[in-house]
Amino acid sequence: MIISASNINQVVTSSEGELSILKDVNISIKRGESVAIIGTSGSGKTTLLSLLAGLDTATSGEISLDGKNLGKLDEDGRASLRNELIGFVFQSFQLLPTLTALENVMLPLELVGDAKAEQAATELLTRVGLAHRLTHLPKQLSGGEQQRVALARAFVTKPTILFADEPTGNLDSKTGRDVIDLLFELNQENNTTLVLVTHDLRLAERCQRTIQLEEGRVVV
Amino acid sequence: MTYFKLALRLLWRDARSGELTILLLALVIAVTSSTAISLFSDRLQGTMNQQAADFMAADLLITGPTKISHDWLEKARQLNLKAANGAEFSTVLIENEQLLLSSLKAVSQHYPLRGYLKTRQADYQDEQRVYSGPVVGEVWVDQRVLTSLGVNIGEPLQVGELSLTISRILSYEPDKSGTFYSLSPRVMMHIDDLAKTAILQAGSRVQYLFQFSGEEADIKQFTAWLDGKLSASQRLLDVHDNRPEIGAALERAERYLGLSSILVILIAGVAIAMAARRYTERHFNATAILRCLGCQQNQVLSLYGIQILVVGLVGSSIGCLLGWFAQYGLFYLLADLLPSTIASASLLALVIGFITGLVTLLGFALPPLLRLKKVSPLRVLRRELEPLSSSAWLVYGLAASIVAGMVWYFTQDLKLSLIIIGVGFVTLGVLAGLIVLVLLAVKTFLPKLTLSWRLGIQELVREPKANIGQILAFSITLLAMLLSFTVRNDLLKDWQNQLPANAANYFAINIFPDQVADLKLLFKQKSIPTGEFYPVVRGRLISVNNQLAKEIVAKDSVGERSIQRDLSLTWSSNLPEGNEIIAGSWQLEQASYQVSIEQELAESLHAKVGDKLGFTIRQKDFTAVISSIRKVQWDNMKPNFYLIFSPGTLDSYPSTLITSFYLSKENKPALNQLVKQYPSMTVLEVEMLLKQFEKILTQLSQAIDYLLLFALLAGISVLFASIYSTLDSRMYSGALLRTLGSSRKLLKKSQFIEFATLGLIASLLAIIAKEFVSYFLYQQVLHMPYQVNYWVWVVMPTTVSICLGFAGMFGLRRVLTSSPVQVLRNL
Repeated sequence: MIISASNINQVVTSSEGELSILKDVNISIKRGESVAIIGTSGSGKTTLLSLLAGLDTATSGEISLDGKNLGKLDEDGRASLRNELIGFVFQSFQLLPTLTALENVMLPLELVGDAKAEQAATELLTRVGLAHRLTHLPKQLSGGEQQRVALARAFVTKPTILFADEPTGNLDSKTGRDVIDLLFELNQENNTTLVLVTHDLRLAERCQRTIQLEEGRVVV
Repeated sequence: MTYFKLALRLLWRDARSGELTILLLALVIAVTSSTAISLFSDRLQGTMNQQAADFMAADLLITGPTKISHDWLEKARQLNLKAANGAEFSTVLIENEQLLLSSLKAVSQHYPLRGYLKTRQADYQDEQRVYSGPVVGEVWVDQRVLTSLGVNIGEPLQVGELSLTISRILSYEPDKSGTFYSLSPRVMMHIDDLAKTAILQAGSRVQYLFQFSGEEADIKQFTAWLDGKLSASQRLLDVHDNRPEIGAALERAERYLGLSSILVILIAGVAIAMAARRYTERHFNATAILRCLGCQQNQVLSLYGIQILVVGLVGSSIGCLLGWFAQYGLFYLLADLLPSTIASASLLALVIGFITGLVTLLGFALPPLLRLKKVSPLRVLRRELEPLSSSAWLVYGLAASIVAGMVWYFTQDLKLSLIIIGVGFVTLGVLAGLIVLVLLAVKTFLPKLTLSWRLGIQELVREPKANIGQILAFSITLLAMLLSFTVRNDLLKDWQNQLPANAANYFAINIFPDQVADLKLLFKQKSIPTGEFYPVVRGRLISVNNQLAKEIVAKDSVGERSIQRDLSLTWSSNLPEGNEIIAGSWQLEQASYQVSIEQELAESLHAKVGDKLGFTIRQKDFTAVISSIRKVQWDNMKPNFYLIFSPGTLDSYPSTLITSFYLSKENKPALNQLVKQYPSMTVLEVEMLLKQFEKILTQLSQAIDYLLLFALLAGISVLFASIYSTLDSRMYSGALLRTLGSSRKLLKKSQFIEFATLGLIASLLAIIAKEFVSYFLYQQVLHMPYQVNYWVWVVMPTTVSICLGFAGMFGLRRVLTSSPVQVLRNL
């Protein structure tokens, strides 16, 4: 299993007291699999994604990525693992506004001192159809173009796992379809394990498996 | 390398978008002022160190109120040293019915042993370097002597009882000391003419100079031989001494200029902290993305640390360059108080300014920057997640340590530093507390105000912490400027105004005992009312209860100033007018070796009735017991003394007498007769003394005002830092209001009101603080009557409010010019 989560509970403290976001969640995902996590708003999908990706730590339970127990790693350890194994695509693109498309895609490679970052980034941006937009800032790109830059950034490190959180949430339906097609193409080319959080059932159907969350629990 | 390039790229993009402009500007202002001071001090130091031999006109100099023993001269001759000697004293010249107090220097044949003099043989001719002084029968004078007395080159000048021919204008003298009397114009003559002037007699106030030059080994041997032979009043200087006589006033000026620059650094530091905070907050999202992509915490810190370091290097470099030019302003303002030739600056001074910039940036920008390390990657999914603020201890502690370090660096005195830091913190604390109270009070009135007023004032009270910083920055700067301006003016006005109509306006010193009877008769004949004639012997205070006085006194105290020079010691059986006994009793029995001491001096020496004070006069030591402590009315225009001995204690020493008298304008011709008849007597005109003091005070305070301009610039940078730190939320609320139908005029008005109110609060607080500080200063330190300057209460708040109102409107123009839909979409 590339991703393994057992007995995951996530509790947060708010002004109204303790709130249980996830309750006894158990998940296993095989290498190369594509999984959609679905559920209504507030069901805990994004929270689950953040835990599986090592962006946050669970209140209780154990999560392993490629055999490494996230609970035993400190914040820097998880950061290192993210760089090594994971790519991200977000609903709001999350590009650095002061860097060009090319520089945004180069970023993950530059963080580890890869001297060939520019070459790899250029190739990937060409692959996603943005060869003519390398020097443009995010504010000069449309929503669809920004998301394609984000896809290029996600795949430039050839990640083992790709986490996507509502990747088409801020796009119109046609642009969204184009972006999703590109996402699955890249996924197949790189043989990446895909974990996709969405409330769009048609998008979920494109994945090999679906995990449904309801009020913080996995619905069997 | 890739990492470094990434940091530079991010920095370049942020710089182009104006993110770092305020931070850079504040840093440049701080470094400019500190570099200017550093260069100023360094060049003064260099003038004394590197040109020490020329500055002394010799390799070795002995000065003192008495001549040296003939043995010493013989020893110098044996060691093949060249010798020159001279005497320096004040005297009054009289020509063409004009009087002029001058500083006379009589020099021997070989003067100067090192360096040169510069003279002109006619007005506006080129200067010539000469390597010896005037010959017998001739005199060289400062240009001012010619213009004040209406004489020319080639004409005679009466010096005491001798007439000498003016042969040259003296424009440069290497070893001119920087005392108060050195501001009097110079007259230089040959020492062989001195006796014929009959000015100097036993007991006259004079400084003898004995200069030596030769091989370094011989000089060292002579110095070693002299060890233990000098009296307490004599001073030995060689080329390695750091501070030949350039004047305690100048050293003090350097210190206060340095403290002024700390004010600039402190205020600029507030701007840096605000700008760094905004910069940090605007990078939370970017940092979260970087963390998501695998950037570790220390890598985040390195990435932004490199950027801040580069900003520091650029800002410090620009500041050093501007400081280089700014120091010329200081030299221009203090030209009359400084030697005519100043050494070049050393690289070290620039390095100090540069390092000051980096340290300031580190101290004020580091705490906000450290928050970036704590940004969670989860923020990419949860925008509301913000890292905790840095510990208040870190924020304030770091800044306070830097300021404290700088205060100590400039004062070199731990006690004085602690006092300044303590007073500074108390002042800041009190002002900050008052600001909070004012803002709370203003908040209660909010609901009663019209919309534009409510919108404006609301911005002030909404973020009290941020606004306290702004208001404090302006209050402190305005307070410093007010104090500098009003104290200077009040000080001078008071001395002029409080003199009773017929108070003595002249002092006569160097009166010899055998002249007293005839002089009293002459005063009577001329209807010139005089005060008492007091005998004076020049001596030095050495010890208190056998402990060296220099180990007891604090820096800059009355005591320190009193032991660094010979004092005028007197004796009397009657308590002088204007003196009040506050401890002990006055009865001074004949030859009982008792002394009455002035109150402030006693406090400074920690001395009390019954303690023994040690003195030295003409190399003879003796002690006297304190019989009383006196409070003295120093400003009564009569001779006043720190120390009054019992009659008979000082009989064995040659003495002169001092008195004061009143001379009306109509009776002024009588003065000419007095000076002609008694050429050894020196007459000091109070008005002239005040004018000279006013000149020094004005120049020093102008130099401080020059630096306070930098503080004002720093205050403006705080204003803009604060505006930009809240710009996003202002743009959002501005866009919302315009969407809901508000006019631009309404928003403009509310902006003006907000900043005008800020200026009003800052200036009123500054004025209130100034009244408190002035009251204490005038009553306790300056002993002047305190009065409120009402015009300040009207002019300052009005001017500051209007200026800040417009400045605020200018800074917030984007709120009005940006499209509401764009703003709402982006935010």
